[in-house]
This record gives sequence, structure tokens and C-alpha cells, in this order.
Amino acid sequence: MITNLFYFLSFVAVLSALMVVFSRNPVYSVLYLIITFFAIAGHYVLMQAEFLAVVHVIVYAGAIMVLFLYVIMLLNLNRESEPHKSNILKFAAAICSGLLLVVLVGSLRGTELLKHSEAGEVSSTMGGVKNLGKVLFTDFLFPFEIASVLLLAAMVGVVMLAKAEKKTNL
Amino acid sequence: MNALLIVCGLGFISLVAEIINLKKGLHIAIVLGLVVAVAAVIGDWNTSATFFNNMLIFDPFSVAFTCLIIVVGIFWFCLTSPFFIGESHQTDRTALIIFTMVGGIMMVSFHNMAILFLGIEILSISLYVLAGSHKESFFSNEAAFKYFIMGSFATGFLLMGIALVYGATGSFDTSEITMHIEGHKAGLPGFFYVGILLMLVGLAFKISVVPFHFWAPDVYAGSPTMITAFMSTVVKIAAVGAFYKIFGLCFFSVQMSVLPIIQGIIILTLLVANIIAVYQNNVKRMLAYSSIAHVGYMLLGFISGSVKFEGILFFYLASYATTSLIAFGILYAIENAKGSTSIDAVKGLYNQNPFAATCMTIALLSLAGIPPFAGFFSKYLIFGSAIEADHIMLVIVAVVTSLVGVYYYFKPIIYMFSPAQASDKLYLSAVQKAFLGMLTAAALLLGLLPEWIITILS
Repeated sequence: MITNLFYFLSFVAVLSALMVVFSRNPVYSVLYLIITFFAIAGHYVLMQAEFLAVVHVIVYAGAIMVLFLYVIMLLNLNRESEPHKSNILKFAAAICSGLLLVVLVGSLRGTELLKHSEAGEVSSTMGGVKNLGKVLFTDFLFPFEIASVLLLAAMVGVVMLAKAEKKTNL
Repeated sequence: MNALLIVCGLGFISLVAEIINLKKGLHIAIVLGLVVAVAAVIGDWNTSATFFNNMLIFDPFSVAFTCLIIVVGIFWFCLTSPFFIGESHQTDRTALIIFTMVGGIMMVSFHNMAILFLGIEILSISLYVLAGSHKESFFSNEAAFKYFIMGSFATGFLLMGIALVYGATGSFDTSEITMHIEGHKAGLPGFFYVGILLMLVGLAFKISVVPFHFWAPDVYAGSPTMITAFMSTVVKIAAVGAFYKIFGLCFFSVQMSVLPIIQGIIILTLLVANIIAVYQNNVKRMLAYSSIAHVGYMLLGFISGSVKFEGILFFYLASYATTSLIAFGILYAIENAKGSTSIDAVKGLYNQNPFAATCMTIALLSLAGIPPFAGFFSKYLIFGSAIEADHIMLVIVAVVTSLVGVYYYFKPIIYMFSPAQASDKLYLSAVQKAFLGMLTAAALLLGLLPEWIITILS
């Protein structure tokens, strides 16, 4: 059952990810991206990481996607205004990303080694909300707190860039 | 440790100053606060303690680098009062600069990959905004946008790398990762090495070495001049420190696997950066390429694996930061007076302001590596340790490219001493003069007494 579900979710994820790239209309791309995110969230649930799955849906499928849609609608993208990319650039990009894909896929062949080492041992409750909360407020308290500085810096930056400049008195 | 909290607190204070209208004394208060932070960090010397469940470590390396970051920050603040005082968003700019320093301190004192990542992000996100802080300038907008896109792309690589390393070793803690690597030398899975590779790509973006340098010249040239100075001093210290902590300490035992890549990066960086710098007609852009080239020299010392390397790296960064702060500080005054940083703008500087021209000349000579200035000894020590490690080919490339460097550093010097058509004076405030004088004296002193700094860390 779980294996079948895994294959189904993987199929949906890969298919919709391909559709993101191949669909002509950017709004469709974004909608397919939402499906991809949901499929990946399903994978998290299969791996007993419920919290991650929920956060993934809220943050990516919720917030980020709305942002994407707004940007696309505000920019009013269409084929005429699309910047022209030279063929050499496309070719180089394809080769580079293809090589990265080969390296990443090839590297995952070593995973069976992990089954026998202590690094591979993962308890089934590790990704649960309870465990995560405990770790976040004990071992990882400092990163949790210092992330507030990161958010504050981002917020100050956005306000600074978006606020209208005061006109100088002539 | 307390220094980090003090610097964090200064950021909050500068934000609160906006609300309660205390902008007048803010600049001085920040400088005084940073002085207190320096005192606090020196108090941590030789304690070598870890904090917050091994999240941060303040060993001599971290203390020295934190100290350097804050001291350079103090000088930077003193040279740049016109960038803040009287400008709109004074408090926001101050807060963002302070947060950048918080990120930088985290990057040189992390003991956990999570802190490294958060440090890099705090530093970068503040910098993206600061690069675009001249909102009406098209180039500043371009710089911010380019930096943002490229920087977040690089962060993605770094994060993927950290995830793969975590998958292979089961820990974010740097000393646990080192222990795991030592214990499982034969049985490390392939994706561990891919993880290291991706982290190398991510960090190479941050220290801007060829071929990951494409953002650097545009960002450096487009940003407001004093932000460029900040990027090439404080940010560079933090990024190089983080690079060393990862590849020199944490991944020390598997360093051999990335060594050929780093060697390639060094050769490319030295050749490309130095040769392109020759063709620049804008002093700011020339200094951008020079800062890329200097990272190449630092990496050359890095692969030599010398036991004294920590000290040499510290000395190199201290002398580089000192001299490039002088160069950018004077360039900033020139830009304010003439509205341009092109090579024609520095023409006849000696007639307009002999003091500025002398400081600038000393800075450029030191960057070029002419004795007896600091830059000469830093390069000399790096080349010496690389020869000891039998990297003769790399040293030959480095010596030849630094001769190319002499050419492009002399170009502004010749312009400065040639007679100018318009003889309007260049004005420097008393504070700027005092601090430029102190920095120039430091560049001379570092050159005469390099042992003082090097022995701190070795």
C-alpha cells in the first residue's frame, strides 16, 4: 500500500514538475508547481514528518505561490515581452544543469551504505511535532532565536526599499 | 560571545532610535557601542568556550576574526558619516550594517552548520538591501537585484550541500562531522563528496572567486561606494573566515578530494581577475577586480596547509582590509566632490589634496605588494608557505599576476600626480582625515612589524 502510494506521489510530482517547465502560460506553470508541492508534502507524510508536510503546504503552496501569482499578474508576462535568449546560452544552461543532474543522481547510489551505519538510524518519531518542538527549544534554541534577527533584517530592508523618499524642499 | 549580543543589541537600538527620535547622537553611540564590543571580545581571549549547546565557539581564531570584523567596522563607521547623517533612512541603514556584522560574526564563530547558514543569510539579506540603498540610481538597483538573484542561487547550493553532508554524517555539529569523517574514511558514501562540492560552490560564490565571480564587478561598481568598501572588507573577512573554518578545519581530512578544484580556482582567479583589472577605466571597478584577485592569493596560502596559516590569513585580511578601506574612503570623498569614480576623477589629486593623494598612494602600493607596506609581507608570507608545500607552478602564476597587478595599481597613482585642469580643492573633514591617517599608519606599521599580528594566531 505504502509502496504504491509512493509511486503514485512520485509520478504526480515528476509529471507536474515537467509540466511546470513545458507549459506555455506562466499562470499554468504556477498552478502545476502547487501540485508538485502537494505531492512532495505527501512524501513527507509517508516519511512520518507531519510537521514538515504541513509547513511545506502552508509556506510554499500557500504564501510563496500567491506571491508568484501576484508577480506574474503584475508583470503581465506574455510571449512578445519575453527577453530573447541566444542559443549558445540555452545550450550552456542545458549542459550545466544536465551535469548537475548526473552528479546528484549518481551520488545517491551510495545511500545503501548508510543502512549499516549509525548515521542511517532514524527513529520513526523523529519528524513528529513533539520531537521537533523539543529539539527546537533545547539544542537549537540559539538558531531559533537568531532567526528573528534574520526576519527583522529582511523586514527593515523591505520597508526601507518600499517607503517613498521624502521630497527635498526646494 | 558577549560581543555578538552587544552588536545585536546595537542593531535594535538604532531601530528604536527612529521611534523615539534620537537620531542626532546615534552615529557616535554606535561607534562607542562597537568599542565596548571589541573590549568584550578581547575578554574572551584564550577561554575557547562553546555556547548554546555547541552552537557557537569562541576559540582564538573566532575571537581574532570577530575582533577584526568589529574594528574594521568601527573605522568604516567613522569614515562614512556623510552616508548616514542627514540622509533619509539613517537608522535603517545603520541597523542593516549592524545586522551584517552580526551575520559576519556568526560566520567566523559557528560550530554548527545551522549557524553558518543563518549567519550567511543574515549577512546577505542585509547586504542585498544596502547594495540598493541609492534608490534613485539605476546602477544601484541593478547591483541589488543582481546580488539578490545570484546570492540566493548560491545559498541554494550551500544548503543542498549541507543537507547531503548531514545525510552522510548524521550531524550538523562541525566537530562531530570531523570525527565521523575520521572514523569512516573508507566508507563515506558518494553523496558526501557531492555535498562538499556543493558547499564549495556556494561558498565560492560568497568569496567571489573565478568562475563564480560574475556578480562581483557589477555589484561592487553599482553599489554606493561606502557599501562597496564594506563588502570588500568586513564581508570579505567573514566569508574567507567561514571558508577556512569549513574547508580548512571541518573537512580537513578529506581536503585532498577538493584540492584539484581549489587549485584550478586559484589559477583562474589570479589570471582572470588581474588581467581584466588592467582594462578598467573606473577605479571602483578596478578595486572590485583587485579584491577578487586578493582572494586568489589567500586561497593559495590555504592549500599550502602551513601550520602558521591561520596567522598568515589573519595578517593578510587585516592588511588588505586596512588598505582597501583607505582606498575606498578617499574614493568616496572624490565621488562626493566630483560625482564620479572614473580614472579621470582622480586626475590631479595631489594638487587638490596632498594628504589624500599620499594616503591613496600608500594604499595602492600596499595592495600592489610593494615593500615596505603591509601588502608586501602578506603576499611574501603566502608565497613562502606555498613554496614550502611544493606548489611551485601556482607560485609562478601568482608572482606573474601580481606583476600585472603592479601595472594597474600604478595607473591611478600616475593620474593622481599629473597636473589637473580644474584646480578645485578636495575637502576632507577632520574626522575623516584623522581616521585615514590612522589607517595609513596602520598599513605602514603592519608592514614593518608583521610578526605582531601573525603570532597572535600561531
